[in-house]
Amino acid sequence: MSKRAMFLRMVTASLLRRRSRMLIALLSIGIGATILCGLLTIYYDVPRQMGAQFRSYGANVILLADGAPSLTHSAVQEAMRAFPEEKIVGATPYRYVRMDMVSRQQSFTTAGTDFTQVQKTSPYFSVEGSYPENLREVLVGKEIAELIGVRLNSVMELTYKPAEGAGTQDQANAWGPGASLAGSAEGWGSGLVNVSAVLDGEGRIASVTVDAATQTPEIGGQCEEEAFTSQFIGQSLPIADVDAVSGATLTSHAVLSALNTSVRSDAASNQAKTSSFRVVGILTTGGEEEGYLFISEADMAAMTGDAETLDVVEMSVSASAEELDGFVDAVGQQEGVRARLVKRVTRSEAAVLTKLQALVFLVTVVVLLLTMICVSTTMMAVVTERRQEIGLRKALGASDGSIRAEFLGEGMFLGLLGGVLGGLFGFGFAQLVSVNVFGSSITFQPLLLPIAVILSMAVSALSCLWPIKRAVQIDPAIVLKGE
Amino acid sequence: MSLLEIKNVSKIYGDLKALDNVNITVEKGDWVAIMGPSGSGKSTMMNIIGCMDKPTSGEVLLDGVDISKQSNKYLTEVRRDKIGLIFQQFHMVNYLTAVENIMVSQYYHSLPDEEEALEALGRVGLRERARHLPSQLSGGEQQRVCVARALINHPEIILADEPTGNLDEANENIVLDLFAQLHREGTTLIVVTHDPEVADVAQRTIVLEHGRVAREVHNASWGK
Ligand SMILES: Nc1ncnc2c1ncn2[C@@H]1O[C@H](COP(=O)(O)OP(=O)(O)OP(=O)(O)O)[C@@H](O)[C@H]1O
Ligand SMILES: [Mg+2]
Repeated sequence: MSKRAMFLRMVTASLLRRRSRMLIALLSIGIGATILCGLLTIYYDVPRQMGAQFRSYGANVILLADGAPSLTHSAVQEAMRAFPEEKIVGATPYRYVRMDMVSRQQSFTTAGTDFTQVQKTSPYFSVEGSYPENLREVLVGKEIAELIGVRLNSVMELTYKPAEGAGTQDQANAWGPGASLAGSAEGWGSGLVNVSAVLDGEGRIASVTVDAATQTPEIGGQCEEEAFTSQFIGQSLPIADVDAVSGATLTSHAVLSALNTSVRSDAASNQAKTSSFRVVGILTTGGEEEGYLFISEADMAAMTGDAETLDVVEMSVSASAEELDGFVDAVGQQEGVRARLVKRVTRSEAAVLTKLQALVFLVTVVVLLLTMICVSTTMMAVVTERRQEIGLRKALGASDGSIRAEFLGEGMFLGLLGGVLGGLFGFGFAQLVSVNVFGSSITFQPLLLPIAVILSMAVSALSCLWPIKRAVQIDPAIVLKGE
Repeated sequence: MSLLEIKNVSKIYGDLKALDNVNITVEKGDWVAIMGPSGSGKSTMMNIIGCMDKPTSGEVLLDGVDISKQSNKYLTEVRRDKIGLIFQQFHMVNYLTAVENIMVSQYYHSLPDEEEALEALGRVGLRERARHLPSQLSGGEQQRVCVARALINHPEIILADEPTGNLDEANENIVLDLFAQLHREGTTLIVVTHDPEVADVAQRTIVLEHGRVAREVHNASWGK
C-alpha cells in the first residue's frame, strides 16, 4: 500500500469513526460556506435584483393613450400641464416599433426616446459606454448585445418597414409644397448619408440638412456644411447635377441621390428605411429593457417618418400620494390621454445599491471570520482531545511534517465536504432570501460551487494552522507518563 | 562497541534528581529488566533511551552516537528506525483497527504493508481480530497488538515500560513468551517492571533507587 493510500485511510477513518466531534467542525464549516455562498450569490445577483427594485424608484406616473389609437406629442404636452413644472423630475417619451437587422435576419423592439429624460426617470439603468448623444447612435440592451455579439462602436444597420396597407406614395405628390423630406444613399465606403429637406410653398427646397456621420469627417463631412448645402436652396426636385466638394465626390453624389429619392417624412410612408447606427452603450437593467434597442426621438422620427406618435410617457413626479391622485384626475379630464400611478419606493437613490453590496461584503467577511474562529476552536479541542494519540504518533516516529499533514488533511477534507454542502445549501439560502426580500428568484451561478469549495478549504486550512502548531508542540514523552 | 552506553547521566527537575549519575551498558541481544520503587526514575530513563527526552548531563551512546546532543529531527529518526515502544497503557489510535494501528508504524517508518501487518498480528495470535477497533479488544489483546506494532519494523531495541502492569496472568505469559521469542531472534529488550516474575525471565536486573543504580543482579536461573 502506498503512503498516500494509508494517509487517506487514516484521515477518512479519523473523520468517519470520530463522527460526533467532526460533525461539529463540519457543521461550522458547512454553515459558514452556506452563508458565504448564499451571500456571494446575492452579491452577484444584487445588481440584477436591485435593478428590478429600482425601476420603481424612477417613474411613478405613466401617460397612456385613452380612446385614441395612439398617444401624440401634442396630447402629452397638454397632459403635462396638469403637473406643476417644479414637481416634474423627468418625463420620458417612448415610441416602440419593430426594426429589422437584415444582416442577422433578426428583428428587435426599438424604442425612440429622450435620453436626458431617461436618466431622470430610470436612474437604475446601468450603461456600459454612454447614452447616445448624437444622431445615428444606438443603446443596445444587454440581451441583444449578447445574442448578436455587438460591442461598443459596432455598427448596426436597422431597417424600418411600415405596416402593410399604407397607401403607395406618389413621388411627385411627395415633393409637393411644404413637404418635409428625408432620404438616404450610399456614399464612400458604403456608408449611408442621410439627408432631410423642407420644401417651400412653391415646392422648391427651402432648407437642407445633411448627416454624413459615416463619412470621413474632414472630407465627406464637408458636405454637411452650408457652403455645400446652400447650392440646393431654391431648386426643384429632382436636381440634375451637383457641385461636388473636391475630394468628396462620392459623398456629394450620395447627397444628390438621397435628395432625388427622398420621401415625405411628415406623413406615413410605406417605404422601408434603412440606417446605420453606431453602438455607443450597452444597457443592463435586470428587466425586459435588456431585450430592446434605444435610439433618439429624432432618429425614430427619421426612420418612421412620424415625429408625432408616442406609445407611453414615463414620468417621475415628486409629490405626495394625494397630490398625485389629483394630477391623475386632471389628466383624465383631457381627450385621448390618461395617467396611471405606478407604485414606487420613496427613496430614489441608486447609491443604496452600492451600500447594499458593501454591506453584503462586510457580512461575508464577518461570517468568514466567525467560521474561522469556530473551526479553529473545534480543531483546538480536537487536538487537546487527541494529545495522547499525537504523542503516540510522535513516539512511533512521526515527524512534525507528518503530524501537520495529517491535521491539515483532515481540515481540508472537512473544508471540501463543507464547501460542497455549503455550495448547495447556499444556493437554497440565496434563493430563499431573494424570494422573500426581493420577490424574485435568482439564477444559479455554477462557478460559485468551485469557489465555495476552494474558499472553505482555504478557510479551514487557515483555521487549522494554530491548532496544528499546538499539535506539533506535543511532547511524545506524555505517552509514557500515562495520563 | 556496546549497543547502548549510558555514562554519568543525570536528569534534574528543579531540585529533584530524577536520575543521578547513572551508568549502564547494554550489549546487543541483551534482555535487561529495570526495577525499583515508584518515583525511582525508571520511566525517566526509558524516555531518555527512547529518544523522547534528553538528559540534563551525561552521555547516551546509541550505536556509538551520543543522542543527548542530537537535534529533535535526528531523535525522531532514531525512534522511527531503531526503537520499538511498548507502554503500560497500551496506547492505540482509537479510531483505527488493530491492523491499521500496526500499519501506522509502518507508515512512519517506510511503506505500509497490510500483509506483513497481518502476519505480525498472527504472531501475537490476533489475526482474527485484525479488523477490530481498540474498544472492541480486551486489555491483553490490545497489549499484544502493541507488541506486534513494536516489532513490525524490526527495531534494534524494544523498550517496554510496565508492559504487563495491566494484564492478567494468562496475558502476561503470552507477552513474556513473545519477548522470549524476540530475544532468541536477537532483539535487545529493556523492560521496566514491578513484577519479580517478569524480571526473572530477563538475563539481568538493574535496580534503581532515588535515581541511582542501587544494584545489578544477574539472573542465576537464566538459560535453565
Ligand atoms: N516532567 C517532570 N517534571 C518534574 N518532575 C518529574 C517529571 N517527570 C518525572 N518527574 C519526577 O521524576 C521522578 C522520577 O519519575 P519517573 O516517572 O521516572 O518514576 P518511575 O520510576 O517511572 O515511577 P513509577 O514506577 O511510578 O512509574 C519522580 O519523582 C517524578 O515526580
Ligand atoms: Mg514509570
